[in-house]
Amino acid sequence: MVRARGLGVLSMALMVAFACGGGGGTSGSKGTIKIGSDLPVCTTGGQSTANGVKFAVDQKNAAGGVNGYTISFQSFDDCRQGAYDAAAGVENVQTMLGDPKFLGMIGPYNSAVAKAEIPIAAPQHFVMISPSNTGVCLTKESPPPQAPCTYHAADLRNGNANNYWRVVTTDDYQGPAMATYFYKTLNVHSVGILDDSTVFGVGISGAFETQFKTLGGTVVKHSEYQKATTSDWKSILLAFKNGGATGVYVGGTDDQNICIPRKQMKDLGWDVPFGGGDGIETTDCINQAAGNELGVNATSAGADATQIPGAKSTIDAFHKQFPGANDFGGYTMQAYDAANALMAAIGRAINDAGGNTPTREQVRAEMAKTKGFVGVIGTYDFDQNGDTSLKIVSIYTVLSVTDPANSTGVCGKTQTKLCFVWKAQFDFAKPS
Amino acid sequence: MALGGMSLIDFLFYIICAAAVVLLAAQAVINPTAFVQITVFGLADGAMYALVALGYTMVYGIIELINFAHGDVFTMGGYISAAILGFFAINEQTFTAVNLVAILLVFPAVMLIMAAINVGIERIAYRPLRNAPRLAPLITAIGMSFVLEGVMFLWHGPASVHFPDILPHGPGFQTTIGGVFVTFKDGFVMVTAVFLVTLLAIFINRTKLGKAMRATAQDKDAAQLMGIDINRTIAATFFIGALLAGAGGMIWGLYFNNLFYNLGFRTGLVAFTSAVFGGIGNIPGAAIGGVLIGLIAAYSDSYIGSKWTEVVIFGILIGVLVFRPTGLLGMRVPEK
Repeated sequence: MVRARGLGVLSMALMVAFACGGGGGTSGSKGTIKIGSDLPVCTTGGQSTANGVKFAVDQKNAAGGVNGYTISFQSFDDCRQGAYDAAAGVENVQTMLGDPKFLGMIGPYNSAVAKAEIPIAAPQHFVMISPSNTGVCLTKESPPPQAPCTYHAADLRNGNANNYWRVVTTDDYQGPAMATYFYKTLNVHSVGILDDSTVFGVGISGAFETQFKTLGGTVVKHSEYQKATTSDWKSILLAFKNGGATGVYVGGTDDQNICIPRKQMKDLGWDVPFGGGDGIETTDCINQAAGNELGVNATSAGADATQIPGAKSTIDAFHKQFPGANDFGGYTMQAYDAANALMAAIGRAINDAGGNTPTREQVRAEMAKTKGFVGVIGTYDFDQNGDTSLKIVSIYTVLSVTDPANSTGVCGKTQTKLCFVWKAQFDFAKPS
Repeated sequence: MALGGMSLIDFLFYIICAAAVVLLAAQAVINPTAFVQITVFGLADGAMYALVALGYTMVYGIIELINFAHGDVFTMGGYISAAILGFFAINEQTFTAVNLVAILLVFPAVMLIMAAINVGIERIAYRPLRNAPRLAPLITAIGMSFVLEGVMFLWHGPASVHFPDILPHGPGFQTTIGGVFVTFKDGFVMVTAVFLVTLLAIFINRTKLGKAMRATAQDKDAAQLMGIDINRTIAATFFIGALLAGAGGMIWGLYFNNLFYNLGFRTGLVAFTSAVFGGIGNIPGAAIGGVLIGLIAAYSDSYIGSKWTEVVIFGILIGVLVFRPTGLLGMRVPEK
């Protein structure tokens, strides 16, 4: 019987995991329009991003909604077994598509999930705005000399008008930004590269490698691993060290244990800079690096809200509604902007529909017309591919801070005073 | 066909082994320091695999069941020891007397807890199926594995769990011997594993219960006729297997300081491979298999490339099974 009870507990857990957080507001005068989010809310990164959407929706409803409509927000979880899962994301999108009240969604969080979702949403003209997807090939071809795309934006949309936008820039800037930071700022001229064999990890580490070599740096070795099969990275790291590497770049995400090698560098007695993409600018990364957190460098594919004049009041208001230590994350303000861009497009579409509930195509067409959007992370346009005109990549480093509440980056779970702190930014829109 | 008393298959097997040794020796000559360093890592990893592999091999030896839940018993040992350590005023920065007391107390505690859990698993999921077709207990074993993983998932969620870093570490507890960097932790893992395996060997060979286990493995019915309580003996096997797995989980935590809920799936697979490698049912074989797999993985990570490590390990497994179907040491029945 214990076995049966164990299964009962499990299925309850699954139900909780798939049950949706978030809630609607009070009824507006004209009715309700739903927007959803599809994020891996089982992770702190995903949940803090969903918080940004909820905050934007609550703020909008408190100010009277959108042209008389109340926005109802529903947060979907695309986690399976504790990590993002493209199939779970597809199911969530299908649920939203099945409910005509859903006029758009924020998400997904991970590029691999977007790759699976766009082909389903595009024929229905369903607007998707990602706060965090950085995979290059979702919107465009990767620029040479980087490795060519293995799948193509046009194929994902399959002849339908573009329905996908993102408020962050792409890995073809993120990887090079860290390469430049390593080479020029940290004076690391020889690196070992490790990737986690995922779409994201392979892409970003490839972009890093290309730029690092262009700058004149040496790549000692490019190794890859799979979460399911590796728990000791010391032999890999030793090969880097013996090859003369003076830095380590990792392409991957914390749910693939990408920051445990950072801890093991200390076990090796090897103290050199460690850097990665936005997949490591997370609480879980700091936890994994236990004992060797300081000096972890991460990029984020957007501007830091604290570097934008005028963003402070929004962040302060957010912290009032969400006071928890891990409620604010690297993509919270990006999600806030994405939600506001979507609601603005819905507002214009309502006008197009003569004040009535617009169609999904009307929302999509208005979203495509977005120009000069004033968000917290800047004022920007979207090109016809769905990419933002902002090409800013921020660099964060884990430092010991006195007041974590004041840090825009995330902090550790037990090491609450070790936080990612903004260091520098690269603007690829401006010629350097 | 025979070559100097050897069959062709044996001859091929030795040729392949010799080639691997020569290639490794070449690396050892090119950069001896790195070679020894990698060997140290491999031995430490292998020692942990060996502890888990012993549980697989003992259970298989006695009831011919591949206990898929064993890897998760190991992981849960890590989770539970981390939880118990939370009650002590341990210090992760420096090694204190409290740390020592905590380690000395938590080791036996977690071993006994895991042993009790494993005996419970045997009672619930395997004993009722003792006479069922072979496939039935295999499926319940997989089921128990998912149940244990589910419990750990509910307990700590999907993210990796920090295990307190309470072994002596830092500048005072590491040294460089001829360019090889060795930490206290590496030594601790190996010494503890050797100690536990020695205890097990003494137990199996010198005690009455050990004799009963060997007898049951050899012939269940005959053993019963001799007055051996089969149920008690099998429960004892699960008990001892989980003692080692619990210790293994704690050692893993102390060494890596990281655990995650489905760690046991992979570790279990590798440990099972080690057991087959050494000759399933053979206790020294499992220990040697574990150490060898740890070494092979470390050499492959460094010299071939980490993406090939899994291919290398399982390629070697296939090779061993083709050339030596009973594993490296074979299945020496009395020592099952």
